[in-house]
Amino acid sequence: MKVYSIAILLVPSTGTQSTLLTSATDLSSFSFYQKGTVGEFLTFFSRTVAERTAPGQRQTVQENAYTAHVYNRGGSEQLAGVIITDAEYPVRPAFSLLAKVLEEFTAAVPQASYNPNPGLTPNSIAFAPLQQYIVKYQDPRQADTIMRVQQELDETKIILHKTIEGVLQRGEKLDNLVERSNNLSQQSKMFYKTAKKQNSCCVIA
Amino acid sequence: MPSTAPSIDSSKPEIDPSQVVDVGVLKELAKRYLVDALNSVNGPKTLVLDPSLAGPLGLVTEVALLKQHGVDKMFWLEPGPLQATTTNIIYLCRPQVQWAKLIAEHVKQHTKESQNHVYTLLVVPRESSVVKRILEDEGVLGDIHISEYNLQFIPLEDDLISLEYDHAFKEIWLDGDETAVYNSAQALLTLQKIYGLFPRIIGKGDHAAKLKNLLKRLQSQSPRQAPGSHTLSEKIDSLFIIDRRVDMVTPLLTQLTYQGLVDELMGMTSGHVELPASLLAAPTAQQTPSASAAASTSAAGRTALTKEKKKKHHLTAANDTLFRDLRDLNFSVVGANLSRHAHRLDSEYQSRHQAKTVPQLKEFVGKLGGLQTETQSLKLHTGLCEIVDPQTKTEVFNKSLEIQQNLLALYDVNAQISAIEDLVAQGVDVAVVLRLLCLASIVAPGIKPKVFENLSREILQTYGYHYLPLLLNLSTLHLLTTQPLSPAAQSLKLPLSALKKSLRLLTEENETDNDISYVYSGYAPLSVRLVQCVAQKGALLAAPAPVGEEAGAVPKAKAPKTRSHPIVGWKGFEDVVASFPGEVFDVVQAPDGGATDSSANAVSVLLPREDTTTTVVFFLGGCTYTEVAALRWMASQMRGRRFLIATTGIIKGSSLIEDLATSL
Repeated sequence: MKVYSIAILLVPSTGTQSTLLTSATDLSSFSFYQKGTVGEFLTFFSRTVAERTAPGQRQTVQENAYTAHVYNRGGSEQLAGVIITDAEYPVRPAFSLLAKVLEEFTAAVPQASYNPNPGLTPNSIAFAPLQQYIVKYQDPRQADTIMRVQQELDETKIILHKTIEGVLQRGEKLDNLVERSNNLSQQSKMFYKTAKKQNSCCVIA
Repeated sequence: MPSTAPSIDSSKPEIDPSQVVDVGVLKELAKRYLVDALNSVNGPKTLVLDPSLAGPLGLVTEVALLKQHGVDKMFWLEPGPLQATTTNIIYLCRPQVQWAKLIAEHVKQHTKESQNHVYTLLVVPRESSVVKRILEDEGVLGDIHISEYNLQFIPLEDDLISLEYDHAFKEIWLDGDETAVYNSAQALLTLQKIYGLFPRIIGKGDHAAKLKNLLKRLQSQSPRQAPGSHTLSEKIDSLFIIDRRVDMVTPLLTQLTYQGLVDELMGMTSGHVELPASLLAAPTAQQTPSASAAASTSAAGRTALTKEKKKKHHLTAANDTLFRDLRDLNFSVVGANLSRHAHRLDSEYQSRHQAKTVPQLKEFVGKLGGLQTETQSLKLHTGLCEIVDPQTKTEVFNKSLEIQQNLLALYDVNAQISAIEDLVAQGVDVAVVLRLLCLASIVAPGIKPKVFENLSREILQTYGYHYLPLLLNLSTLHLLTTQPLSPAAQSLKLPLSALKKSLRLLTEENETDNDISYVYSGYAPLSVRLVQCVAQKGALLAAPAPVGEEAGAVPKAKAPKTRSHPIVGWKGFEDVVASFPGEVFDVVQAPDGGATDSSANAVSVLLPREDTTTTVVFFLGGCTYTEVAALRWMASQMRGRRFLIATTGIIKGSSLIEDLATSL
């Protein structure tokens, strides 16, 4: 599973075009010659879905091999965040990352620098955390707390099973006992020995 | 009577009312008396112990407790000098001549070596003038402070208490020493102090009657110390006393229950049996190779087991639930039971594969400890059965069983005696031979003089002339008699044929599962039949439904448990019980200490206030594990009654006979 890009956009409520404020991409899985095209596509995809997501709304849009998770935070900043991943990437961590990233951006970058800022060039705001996040969240299980706990739980279960097996191996082989007791039960016989049955008539004393 | 023990009533331990009769109280009492006796000597002490007391003491206390009360070192009381490092020396022994002499030796030895010691002698359970006399003759009486450790009933199981007298039968009937009877009365008196007066005392046997009279006398003499010590018991509805002499047939037979066979073949003392250490060892990581070695049931594997170092193991249902299920079963079905338990355990272990969630896994792990313990127990009993089983397949074992069953059926007694001769010729264990011979003598009754002469000579020549005293003693006791019977022997004769009919002593193969006779695969212990005459009349008045094809529409379905009837004495069986030797009695005790013979107008059927009552059955002279099993079986068939089995000791045929080899 891969995260291809995280982008934060200004999506004015008036319906005019969105502006890409800042983004981070990971195009390492593409060949050198593809990178340019893919990068352009990711930007286009992000802007399109952001524009088509109402404020306060979350969406997931799939386009061939690419899945875009959009969260239009709205508010006075009119910000939206878009994560583009492959189909495998789990949905929940993607959205929790979006929320986190938007919060941090709002806190770190003054609104005045982008809203309104008529002279803003696309992708010009420096926001270092984005690059860190895209690296970190390539493995959502490590990055996302809940997923990490679930993973640890699964690992624990496996360890538990192995430990139990280990403990049982050390113990007496139950199969051995089952077999031996089977033998004992088959060899049992009743202890009736007398040649004489009670009801015979003649008794020679 | 000087006693270091505190008075019972002032220190009455708490009794759990939910349990019908709690025998833990008795263990606590024994422990407390011991601690008090030890504390009566100040400072560190050396304890010198009579070996025969090791078993009983082990059931009552642990070494740690002794150390806690100042016991520095422990030694066996045996010949040879005693090296004691402490000033105080405490001797703990039964009142026997041999011990008194040994003690005197020690004291004289120490005096010669100018060792200064303070000697205390604790006689179990009470002082004896014989011991005092010997010490006096040896000139050491003044140096020893004599006291007593009043050790009485010791719980062997939660329904079995014992005085652990190894030689009661011999002492009472061969030596004419009735100390054991007196001590039994004292012990029963203690039971009355704890649980209340026995509302009714019933029994059969001359010495049983003596015990009953003694008990009444002691009770009337005992001071009224606290309210409650003279009220009728609410938990116990009666005391049944059986005199061993009344039923000598039962102990002579080979016991066929699991615990009975273990006792017969391997020997149990005070609930302990010696087992190969590997059966008891907790599993280790290296278990795998040895487990597969143990899997082979080849003769080589078995002899390796017998050569192994033995370790004592306390075989009790208290910590071994598997043993509780197996101990009273006829050995022929133990294998199947073990197998069932093994399969059940296996599926429990397999259930771990179904555990998917963490809570499920946690639950399984919680069970794991218990499963491991059960597996250990299964391993122990599987191994134990593998030791016992081949011994039940030997020709001698089966021939002996055949002779026993034929004798009981009175089938061709002459042929059986010839078969016994064959066994002598084969050099079979002398105890086996003598048991069979005594059985033949009892059932016939009496052996033809010429045959007896021949047999006696063969026995002495085969096993040695040192068996002559034993043969003579067996004759004295009329366990071995010749025809025609002497008047004395006549008076002791057991009318077996009549009793077989009136008490249904022998049962058919398809009846035994529903009857106490399963313990001997077709013979119901006479002693327990007597108890049934009083406590489970229904079992005798109607034959049980045969188990098997004839059962018809409801195979194997257990009949619903019937409510137990109150104890009304021998009603319905007076003739039967009077038809063979041994005094019969039935007295009702009144709360003020008086007692009346229960005649027709004294039938105050004492309705117990508890829903479940306990009937105490006391065997004067010892009982076998099969008799215990039979009584437990009876209780399982009824609602509302359980038995507390009390005895002077657990016996078996071989030890009973061998004990008679010497007399005072």
